[in-house]
Amino acid sequence: MSYLEIKDLEISFPTPKGKYIAVRDINLSIKKGEIISIIGHSGCGKSTIMNAIGGMLTPTGGSVELDNKKIKGPGPDRGIVFQNYSLLPWMTVEQNIFQAVDAVMDCSKKEKHEIVEKNLKMVNLFEHKDKLPGQLSGGMKQRVAIARAFAINPGVLLLDEPFGALDALTKGTMQLEVLKLWNLNHRDKTIVMITHDIEEALFLSDRIVVLNNGPASTIREIVEVHLPRPRNKIEIVKMPEYIELRDKLLHLLTDKFSIEDMDMVYEK
Amino acid sequence: MSDKNTLIIDKPNTEINVSTEIKKSVIEENYKLKLALNTLLIKSKSLLLAGVGLFVFGGFWSLLSYYTKDALPGPIPTLTVLKEMLSDPFYDYGPNDKGIGLQLFNSIKTVLMGFLLGSLIAIPVGILMGASTICKQLFYPIVQLLKPVSPLAWFPIGLVVFKDTGMATIFIVFITSLWSTLINTSFGVASIPQDHKNVAKAFGFSKMRYLTKILVPYSLPHIITGLRLSISVAWLVIVAGEMLSGGAGIGFFVWDSWNALSLEKVISAIIIIGIVGLLFDRLFTFIENKVAYKA
Repeated sequence: MSYLEIKDLEISFPTPKGKYIAVRDINLSIKKGEIISIIGHSGCGKSTIMNAIGGMLTPTGGSVELDNKKIKGPGPDRGIVFQNYSLLPWMTVEQNIFQAVDAVMDCSKKEKHEIVEKNLKMVNLFEHKDKLPGQLSGGMKQRVAIARAFAINPGVLLLDEPFGALDALTKGTMQLEVLKLWNLNHRDKTIVMITHDIEEALFLSDRIVVLNNGPASTIREIVEVHLPRPRNKIEIVKMPEYIELRDKLLHLLTDKFSIEDMDMVYEK
Repeated sequence: MSDKNTLIIDKPNTEINVSTEIKKSVIEENYKLKLALNTLLIKSKSLLLAGVGLFVFGGFWSLLSYYTKDALPGPIPTLTVLKEMLSDPFYDYGPNDKGIGLQLFNSIKTVLMGFLLGSLIAIPVGILMGASTICKQLFYPIVQLLKPVSPLAWFPIGLVVFKDTGMATIFIVFITSLWSTLINTSFGVASIPQDHKNVAKAFGFSKMRYLTKILVPYSLPHIITGLRLSISVAWLVIVAGEMLSGGAGIGFFVWDSWNALSLEKVISAIIIIGIVGLLFDRLFTFIENKVAYKA
């Protein structure tokens, strides 16, 4: 029983030079409550797959089904956290979340404000609710974006390189923050995340989808991560399984490992 | 025993705290004072320089006046007349003899009416042009064709349509006010980043919510810039327009004073026109800063 089903997905764009195929033959079934990472090099179509799930793009082939219903456009059943936060700079933190809740939810104004308040408290930003996004740090902006996606209470949470722009320390905290929210929701929110950070993928996910390089990229391999939860950042890195998985992923994603490898390429 | 101990330990601590706090506040006070002095210095410097500039300008003016053997009145006779004009600005001795205040009021009224009407058309059309390619293709050629035409060329058309010089003057201000607002608004709307559009898409914003929460707030700074440019040009045009239409307004006043060979009045009017134009510009710059946001 899969919750989110991607079948033979192909997405292409028309260009003056003809059809450009971004991704093809993508098949993936995701169970409810799973955390899936999509990993690959820049330009391999990670965001394209994400946009297809989000309904921002219409597949040119195959389909994406959520709960046995074909996805035809964006909807409140999927919450998206964009790569660059995408907060509206002229609105306060509270308004940014409220506008999303107000557009999506069907309840009274008072209830909507309560939802906003609850979600702001969840990411520890309630005391900053009247600030504008320009007054926040990168990590805080990302927390607002996450709170906004959670506030509409979606079944699926789509994170598009959510921590890419953050420094290493903030990144670590934010990863924990996401897991905390996932646990708070009794682990029944399905999370699909794009990343190019192997450690991040291993720390957070149940399965890691490795993509081939584009154009026309396909799934190279799906790696299962059986590390026990809750995971401890310091402890899991010592586990043999972690080391094995990390090496495997490194091999899948890289073909040059040292300067010598590079030199050999030049000599040819 | 324990009481004594704590007493001994406590005492020096509090003393230290107090003294550091005092030091801190003294340092802060000093810093604030320095800051205030600094801004005062910068401000007085710029004021002084502006004064020097005006003085040099006045010098050239006097020289020119001397060169034309007082056919062009110098600064002092002009300022005397200006003072006289400003001492009783609202007198009304019939249609051909009104105080400068009344004339100015008339011009401002005409400009604001034409500007308001023009903006009411230009902003919605600009939004349409920015949001839809079809609308842009529809209207842009017309805008390109009509924008370079001097607004005064529209005066006869206004006369024919409205059969009234006052209305015709409002009409040319209306035409003048269209272009900058139209172009800036459509540019603002067309440059809404994909990120903001994605938010609207992902969270299923209705058309109305998109308009009021994304489109308008994003393009507002552009729209205000357009309005600022429009009103500057409108204020430029009103003087010429009223010279053509006659009867009332600061432009008429300039022409009337020239016919009465009172160049002091002409120059005084020029100074007043400049000041009002500056005030319009300042007002819109102020609004511009109000609606600006940090990305």
